[in-house]
Amino acid sequence: MKKKALAILLTAVTVVSMMGCGSSSPATTEEAPATTQEASAANEEAPADTTEDEAEPESIGSSVEGELSITIWDEGQRPGLQEIVDDWSAQSGVKATIQVVDWNNYWTLLEAGATGGELPDVFWMHSNVAQKYMENDQLLDLTDKIAASDKIDMANYYEGIVKLYQSNGKQYAVPKDIDTIALWYNKTIFDEMGVPYPDDTWTWADFAENAKKLTNDEHWGYAIAPGNNQEGYYNTIYSYGGYVISDDKKTSGMDDPKTIEAVKLFTDMIAEGSCPDLATVSETAPNELLQADKVAMSINGSWMLAGYRDNEYTSQNCDVAVLPYTNSPDDRVSIYNGLGWAAAANTKNPDAAWSLIEYLGSKEAQIKQAELGVTMSAYIGTSDAWVNSVPAFDLNGHMKMLDAKLVFRPYSRDTTTWEDMMIEKLQDAWTGEKPVDEVCKDIAAEMNADLAEE
Amino acid sequence: MNKKFTSRQKSEFIWGWLFILPTMLGLFILNIYPMIDTIKQSFYKTGDFGKGNKFVGLANYQKVLGDSEIWQTLWNTAKYAIVEVPLSLVIALLLAVLLNKKLKGRDVFRTIFFLPMVVAPAAIAMVWKWLYNSNFGLINNVFHIKVNWISDPNIAIYSIAAIGIWSVIGYSMVLFLAGLQEVPSDYYEAASLDGANGWQQLINITIPLISPTIFFVLVTRIIGAMQVFDLIYMMIDLNNPAWKKTQSLVFLFYKYSFEQSKKGYGATVIVVLLAVILVLTVIQLIGQKKWVHYE
Repeated sequence: MKKKALAILLTAVTVVSMMGCGSSSPATTEEAPATTQEASAANEEAPADTTEDEAEPESIGSSVEGELSITIWDEGQRPGLQEIVDDWSAQSGVKATIQVVDWNNYWTLLEAGATGGELPDVFWMHSNVAQKYMENDQLLDLTDKIAASDKIDMANYYEGIVKLYQSNGKQYAVPKDIDTIALWYNKTIFDEMGVPYPDDTWTWADFAENAKKLTNDEHWGYAIAPGNNQEGYYNTIYSYGGYVISDDKKTSGMDDPKTIEAVKLFTDMIAEGSCPDLATVSETAPNELLQADKVAMSINGSWMLAGYRDNEYTSQNCDVAVLPYTNSPDDRVSIYNGLGWAAAANTKNPDAAWSLIEYLGSKEAQIKQAELGVTMSAYIGTSDAWVNSVPAFDLNGHMKMLDAKLVFRPYSRDTTTWEDMMIEKLQDAWTGEKPVDEVCKDIAAEMNADLAEE
Repeated sequence: MNKKFTSRQKSEFIWGWLFILPTMLGLFILNIYPMIDTIKQSFYKTGDFGKGNKFVGLANYQKVLGDSEIWQTLWNTAKYAIVEVPLSLVIALLLAVLLNKKLKGRDVFRTIFFLPMVVAPAAIAMVWKWLYNSNFGLINNVFHIKVNWISDPNIAIYSIAAIGIWSVIGYSMVLFLAGLQEVPSDYYEAASLDGANGWQQLINITIPLISPTIFFVLVTRIIGAMQVFDLIYMMIDLNNPAWKKTQSLVFLFYKYSFEQSKKGYGATVIVVLLAVILVLTVIQLIGQKKWVHYE
């Protein structure tokens, strides 16, 4: 009898405690995988700085309590960034250390920090959530400080990134970097199939045509998954003259005839067999297929550079070219995005935080960031040195996309809501289960409903 | 009242509570309070950063009941549990009975079967993803078949359940082994004198005698299976055609609460799961009277 009571008690306690876990455990499990979208969002690289010599006479060190804390999510960028930050420390007399938290935990940490009023002093902002943080006054308003600064002028940065970190006419972050999209290709497969390497004369029609020529039993010409938006159909949509979201962020452009045509370019390639089917790309991502010698071409963002550089196969067999255009080189489009440096609204050291951000955004620091090969910089015209940062590739493919028509990555306040929905629905177009125009119109209808709710 | 307590009883009372205080605190702060808070949140439309929560009454629940996605995920979760729980239970029990005998290398086998329990889920998912890969995976290449193990909507959830079984049998097995230690060996001697074979002994002696352990494993496994999340999260992404047919309820909770920041609706989803688990557990607690034998 005693044993029975004990067993029941034990069971009951376990049940209760497991239920308790049910509500809290996912937060801790979330770290591991990166979904496509997260991967594409984690697109930034590290800035390195310049030797800035105009030493500021008035040191702010004495007015600062302790150290400044900086939080970022990319370990690859930390060494270069720390170097720049150290330069700043030498001038300002304020110590600052960079903490790296991986992409998933970064946002959990930031959200918890914002809720509890304990944000890091200086950190990265991203298009996915910027609006939310700005509207809720979590970020330090930099407007007046920028106006008073002789180093920072918003006109020097790519417009889309500047605008992204604006809300109600106020500026909340200084642009850090920019990414571009380009066409990565496997030289070995091109040689084997006797197809000339892609160059700036290719149109999207040539692209599809050549993908067919590059396909045989061993490999495909090109690979794309429904989640490859910035690294895929978003570029063609804008190149064809279509759009994803209207400028006022109120209506979807997914039912625009040109948008549909642009998506159809890829679904037709899947139907013909020059692109692998949905099952294949859902199990092995397009960039992994390129690394495995299974596709001849892959459209990727400049944030993939480190991965391709460090992969033995791609560094020896692959290179990168500009994206194709539609009718004339003027409509060659690169969908871009960029991080911003932001400070916490309630930081104890607003002056030091601003001084650091001002330094990181300065022309010198932006040039050094490119020189170290961490990322292209958001300051227009400072990225030239980046081209030579990886000898294995001709980075002009990415670099020249800065001269193409730059379109900022479509976003609204709740981007992920409709973006996830879009990816889910596009699956039917990928498999051919439903005609592309039907799928796109369906997406537009639902996206309009989502946008109306924002 | 007070007069009934001797000073010894009093000090035992105080010290007893003092000793369980750390556990109680942990339980309250980490489990009970979040649970209550989650239930509370399910009645709100939550604002950003915990500010501006709006009480909406049962609106979230109305939405849940009318949301076909929730029903689909509930069915997905159920399918996973229906496959994982009975199979892992039976396999673990048989293994435990085998490894309870005096075999050569018994400890080695016990360790091998327990290993999946020790491995990080992320590593498990990586390896299985590779095994299951339809083009380059080991399984398809060894058997020269073309099965889309994790991208065919009809079978993906079962492929994942297979991983679930593989990872959990070790743990269940250890619990069963502990139960088996308590079964007196003279029962078996008597049974074999009467001519009972191994199978009959298993059915008539082993299972009834360790039924409390079986019951415990069953209840905890069903709860665990209903809460499946990490395997699915790591194996399946948005690009996967099996996405809709493999999402579990906890997965949906994660999606709403953390990816889309709709914490109120996410909380509602998880309260629904809590209710389902409660009902299942109560049914089992009632049903146990029929088959669980306590001495």
